[in-house]
Amino acid sequence: MQSAGSPISAQRLAGYGVAAIAAILVLYPVFFLLQASLDVGDPQVRPPTAYGFDNFSGLFQYPQILLNTLTVSFAATVMALVFGFVMAWILARTNVPGRRSFEQLMAVPYYLTPLLGALAWSMLGAPESGFINQIWRELGFSGHIIDINTPYGIAWVMALFEGSVAFVMIAAVMKSMDPSLEEASQVMGASRLRTMLRVTLPLVLPGVLGAGIFVFAEMLGSFAVALVLGTPNRYYVITTAIYQLVQQYPPKIQTAAAMGVSLFAVMFVMLFIYRRIVMGGSYVTITGKAFRPRVADIGPLRYLLLGVCVLYLTAAVALPLLTLLWASFQKIAVAFPHVSNWTLDNFRAAMSMNAARSALTNSLLLGFATATIGTVLMGLLAWLIYRSRLPGSGAIEYVVMFPQAVPRLVFAFGLMWAWVVFPVPIYGTIWLLLIAYLTVFLPLGVRTIASVMMQIDKSLEECAQMCGASWGFRTRTVTVPLLVPGLVAAWLLLFIASVRELGASILLMGPHSKVITPAIVESWFGTSTELTATLALVQTLVIAVAMVVLVLVTRRIGAQRVD
Amino acid sequence: MQDTKPHIEVRNLEIYYGNVPAVRGVSFSVELGEQLTLLGPSGCGKTTTLRAIAGLEKPTGGEILIDGIPVYSSARGVNVPAEKRGLSMVFQSYAIWPHMTVFDNVAYGLRVRKTSAADIKDKVARALGLVQMSDYAGRSASQLSGGQQQRVALARAFVFSPSVLLFDEPLSNLDAKLRADMRIELRDLQHRLGITSVYVTHDLEEALAMSDRIVVMRGGVIEQTGSPDEIYRLPSSAFVADFVGSANLIRGQHRADLSTTETIALETKAGDIVHGMAYGRPVGTEVEVSVRTVHLKLSLDRPSGAVNVWSARIEQTVFQGDFTQVHLAWGGQHLIARCAAMEPIDVGQEVFMTVEPKRVVVLGG
Repeated sequence: MQSAGSPISAQRLAGYGVAAIAAILVLYPVFFLLQASLDVGDPQVRPPTAYGFDNFSGLFQYPQILLNTLTVSFAATVMALVFGFVMAWILARTNVPGRRSFEQLMAVPYYLTPLLGALAWSMLGAPESGFINQIWRELGFSGHIIDINTPYGIAWVMALFEGSVAFVMIAAVMKSMDPSLEEASQVMGASRLRTMLRVTLPLVLPGVLGAGIFVFAEMLGSFAVALVLGTPNRYYVITTAIYQLVQQYPPKIQTAAAMGVSLFAVMFVMLFIYRRIVMGGSYVTITGKAFRPRVADIGPLRYLLLGVCVLYLTAAVALPLLTLLWASFQKIAVAFPHVSNWTLDNFRAAMSMNAARSALTNSLLLGFATATIGTVLMGLLAWLIYRSRLPGSGAIEYVVMFPQAVPRLVFAFGLMWAWVVFPVPIYGTIWLLLIAYLTVFLPLGVRTIASVMMQIDKSLEECAQMCGASWGFRTRTVTVPLLVPGLVAAWLLLFIASVRELGASILLMGPHSKVITPAIVESWFGTSTELTATLALVQTLVIAVAMVVLVLVTRRIGAQRVD
Repeated sequence: MQDTKPHIEVRNLEIYYGNVPAVRGVSFSVELGEQLTLLGPSGCGKTTTLRAIAGLEKPTGGEILIDGIPVYSSARGVNVPAEKRGLSMVFQSYAIWPHMTVFDNVAYGLRVRKTSAADIKDKVARALGLVQMSDYAGRSASQLSGGQQQRVALARAFVFSPSVLLFDEPLSNLDAKLRADMRIELRDLQHRLGITSVYVTHDLEEALAMSDRIVVMRGGVIEQTGSPDEIYRLPSSAFVADFVGSANLIRGQHRADLSTTETIALETKAGDIVHGMAYGRPVGTEVEVSVRTVHLKLSLDRPSGAVNVWSARIEQTVFQGDFTQVHLAWGGQHLIARCAAMEPIDVGQEVFMTVEPKRVVVLGG
């Protein structure tokens, strides 16, 4: 009957094994999230005694939160799109000096984390203590010039950091447009302005729209900025409201779950629309091929645009970092410190304080563990989904990409609820965080590895097979060596993502399993601004080191690639 | 002639992608040491068939036997994985592993077979010698040109003495000049190794130059099987006639009264009588014949005594270097003749056109 020998079954075993792990990781907490949202019985009793939709209809008691969320998300999306579009146009289509370096620097805001930006901008723009307002008063004015603790302040900081995401998406669209389409218009006699309005704009519009939807979905699910800048004024958006409902006493788990599920449903729909726009036929002329876009010579105007670039990167990167640095060396952070105010105590405290040190150690440990286990798991998943022809791999892709549409805070909520009742006591330990990270970073890891995997011609593996190599042998000698740069990149990205993770960690960490980002938030609300600045800087340093290695590795991938 | 069992046998092979058929009931066999070519336009199922023999594609139905042993059989539920079939393959993309040296690339199949280091050195050196790449053994594979990669891929494919070599359009990525050279080299090498091979191409010249036998495929089925000479000389269908070289197709009513024991006569709509040969094929009342464009002879004076002499009018001439392509109007039909070294003729001129009856091949069968 058979001749399908052991190699195939080894392959199947490995394939379905990792698929099962991924499915459990993702679906188990989602199940508990849905269960909690439909639980209308006594909140103290588990499993639920009654089911219904009352929790969802109860959400209408919170119209303010809905309004706040829409206000902030909409304002932030508009600003982020403006930043992204202007930067993309300047860097992709004009001869502004130093375009190349600026393009690479545009990734930095994304890696700085919105939390860091929120902390720094709070120090800069709080109405009383903000450095900018201190300077304002020093100049002889009274009151304050900016107030960051407002909806538009929150949106501003969110937009600064999401702007780099919008930039990447819009720049990709601009680069993938065949310049001959514009040249054709000019050859036919159309002026530059007419070409811009009638050809360029309609062509990039779907891409900008797609970026807008994607960014808006991200804004709906964003947490850190609203937490730092909104909660002091009791200004809640949906994510901070969920957090508040879970943390308060007594917690309103069922309402929080219903909010989480609703948020997830909206984000899911938005991401679905986004995918349809990107994949749909609206871009007949924009192929996957990268063109060299036509660069317009804009004469002396380019120095003005250079100023715009510098301004954006200052607001998103330089100013926040300098602010934190300025604050971290002071006893009481002020704009114009007295000599006696300077101190190194904050750094000493950050290194010696037990809570801070163990949080950093835990984060690094978790980073290493998540990255290492994650690279193996996600590598196998990427292979399973995109390379093996095992039946059911399409369904696995959906499961694996699922966490993409769920805000990490909401996912963590499901995890918390799921693992509290799990017979093995891992709730409140570092193990639960490891499980959470491996789950929420599934899309990130699988996508990173898959993008490298897709570039490896299938025949390279098939050829090894034709030479008689078993699955294990060819994986070891051909597939893995070719994937190494991609695997290293995935490892570093997972490490960075773990070390800076906030949304999932803040709900799941126990008193003895603290990690760095939530510890920074705790320090901000509980200890001191100056120590918080110091901790944030230490975290940034760790991420920066990983980033530098990442850049060096990806450079090597680029250099090694052969046609 | 003791053992006449074919080396590879494909029986009723069917391959579906979902509901889309790629191969629909294909059967052929390859004799020991024979070079067989699957020829056809893109999308005809030739590469899919080859990959099914290799074991890289799982068929939907049928059987594939190697040395009489089924490696795939839908009825018996057999599907031997590619690595256990003992075949070897040269890929269209060459599939040279960029992270290995030339030596390591070629040695791969030997290492899989746990050959001793000394043997590996020996065999790789000999293989690289055969493809004239001895000087490149230490070179990183990513530094090779297309032609060099092609040679390495070839050496890697035969170094471990597989019983069968499969070629998936191995020359299609080379430029025309190199392709012509490699064609001769490949043929030569194949003869020297005496290895059974299945070769896939859409290039007619390649197929004619390299094969012992050709299987012409179209739309997932076989159109015709035969030696290169047969395929060219006696196409069995309008598709083969046109795909293998260029041909004129002429239809008409069978005129049994004018036919002889050797020739078949037909009358076209315009009333012209055409004499052709059936080559043992059945002849109905409607007959279609094929005449190669190179076999139509044109002259200004009426050729004496010959059958198949008609007058036609020149519609257009296209100079193409080695030959001139002449478009003719003949009894309400358009014909094409390729004439070598022709005196210039004016458009609109009436000429005489003739062809030997043996060049007029009855289609079908």
